[in-house]
Amino acid sequence: MLNDAFAALKSYDWGTDLAPLAPIEDAVAAAHGNAEAGKELEARLLTALQGELSRDAKDYICRKLTIVGTAASATILAGLLTDENHSHMARFVLERIPAPAAAQALREALPKVSGKVKIGVIGSLGARRDAAAVSALSGLLADGDAAVARAAATALGDIGTVDAVKALQAARPSAAATMQAAIDAQLTCAEALLAENKRAEALAIYKSLASDDRSKLVRLAATRGILACAAKNA
Amino acid sequence: MSMNQKPTRRAFLKTSGVALAAPYVITSSALGNADRPPASDRIVVAGIGIGNMGRGDQNAFLNRKDVQYVALCDVREDFRDNSKAGVDKHYGNSDCKVYNDFRELLARTDIDAVHIATPDHWHAIMTIEACRNGKDVYCQKPETLTLREGPLMVAAARRYGRVVSGGSQRVLGDYRKMVDPAWAGEYGKIKSINVNVGPMPQLCNLPKEEMAEKIDWDLWLGPAPWAPYNSKRCSGSFSINGSSWRSFSDYSGGGMTDWGAHHFGGALFICDVMELQPEEVTYHGDQGAPYLSLRYPNGLIVYHNRPNTGNLAIEGTPNEPVPPKPVPGYKGDGIYGDFIQCVKTREKPFRDIERAANTAVVAHLGNMAYQLRRSLKWDAAKQEFPGDETANRLVDRARREPWQL
Repeated sequence: MLNDAFAALKSYDWGTDLAPLAPIEDAVAAAHGNAEAGKELEARLLTALQGELSRDAKDYICRKLTIVGTAASATILAGLLTDENHSHMARFVLERIPAPAAAQALREALPKVSGKVKIGVIGSLGARRDAAAVSALSGLLADGDAAVARAAATALGDIGTVDAVKALQAARPSAAATMQAAIDAQLTCAEALLAENKRAEALAIYKSLASDDRSKLVRLAATRGILACAAKNA
Repeated sequence: MSMNQKPTRRAFLKTSGVALAAPYVITSSALGNADRPPASDRIVVAGIGIGNMGRGDQNAFLNRKDVQYVALCDVREDFRDNSKAGVDKHYGNSDCKVYNDFRELLARTDIDAVHIATPDHWHAIMTIEACRNGKDVYCQKPETLTLREGPLMVAAARRYGRVVSGGSQRVLGDYRKMVDPAWAGEYGKIKSINVNVGPMPQLCNLPKEEMAEKIDWDLWLGPAPWAPYNSKRCSGSFSINGSSWRSFSDYSGGGMTDWGAHHFGGALFICDVMELQPEEVTYHGDQGAPYLSLRYPNGLIVYHNRPNTGNLAIEGTPNEPVPPKPVPGYKGDGIYGDFIQCVKTREKPFRDIERAANTAVVAHLGNMAYQLRRSLKWDAAKQEFPGDETANRLVDRARREPWQL
């Protein structure tokens, strides 16, 4: 049954029947708690992924690897990150599987990609809260592509380490949207710090954003944060 | 000016020596009258996503005298054109601005609030972006597509002090006849309630079609995986049988989130657990059609599709009545009035985004349990599945570039 399903993958494409792939769904569910079965299934999926399949079939495999993928998937999927037709679905896996090799694959792809694909990789590093990416992302705050810089700011906000905060506070982007993202990211970091009872660090961020040169929206957000810090201290 | 002629406002400004800093002609509409507040007291509203539900939302806001509807956004040209025509006819002018890209609309500083009725996969990005731009938001249900989105939407709303209301007028509208006796204590302590809703979302594998409409396909897809155009893939039909985006997992949680927003929302209201999330989902798949039981921290069980059990069937202790408590309601007339009133007073609306997200969590947990075919434990405080690495992978999904939360 599973063999038939993998055979069906070879002709799977938009408009073909999903039913023949049902045994793969069953195998994914059955792999829970069975490391051997999961490893075997992953290997078969990765072999198929490297074959001559339609884009839809490769996307399907990536959806399954999101659940059963391990570090072994990271190596194969790293090669797809630079391909604009497959980069997103490669990230579908690499953003969600906890293996450090997945984060490494994303970090290594950063200098190799540009434009939208780069923004995607940045977003996935942020979603992973990859502290090891902070240095590279900090450098992108001054990227000539404003959309890349904006994405880097948002990702640094997601990661929220001390170095991420420092980079965001030091950023002086000329693009208004990037500055908005950098400020939002700092507020995000402050909230995370306050949730961890790091009141002094959070307060410092809020106070830096409460100055008169900020927009009313930002000043109010900062003031709310300052009040939240006071409430926590009470 | 003749002594016998009553001066017009325009004439007064012209002759009174008022500085030229005075504004241009002030229309009677702007000044308001007995039936309509002056412009300065009207909430400036715009809409994003003007399909089936979006048109309904738009009409609701348009017909409010305390709202000035100024702009709309849709990736379909005919939706934009038809909707603008309706707004312009309502006001008797051609002032309504139209946009293809929601970011341009949100960048306007004159807009106070937006209503969002796009497919679900856009809700979180647009709501968060609206908050960042200082807009209050009325977001259609289901408000989230993944578990990660809810807390981020709540955080953005609180960070910027925004009023963010979810949709589902049915939660207060349709289930009141059960809410009242429940909150009056007539069911006693409610031990369980059942919700029958579905189906689960399915993977969309529709074939490519020639594009028969003028639609910005890349922007319609947005953060969802790329796929070729197909009219059923992007149809806004209310059916969930494979002929609309509501059916498909890349854009929606299927009937579980779509109608679940109403039924689960009603169930949680009846049982007074709108502020809570389940802590465990038990998958009953040993015999017959699988069903679920979701346990709340206070011991309440919410069943999903329990066999031989009617929708919203309650198990309680009617012989042991509990003290009554007042039932919360809208602060304005209906869910739209509630939102607008809260925009004015800065209170939380009845379907505050946190409550709305809590409802969606039930559906998301349910969908995951069915997908993985097993039980799950959920830590609402940490927003994760403790010790369940596989389930944690499904808390969110990578968004197609260039979109990120």
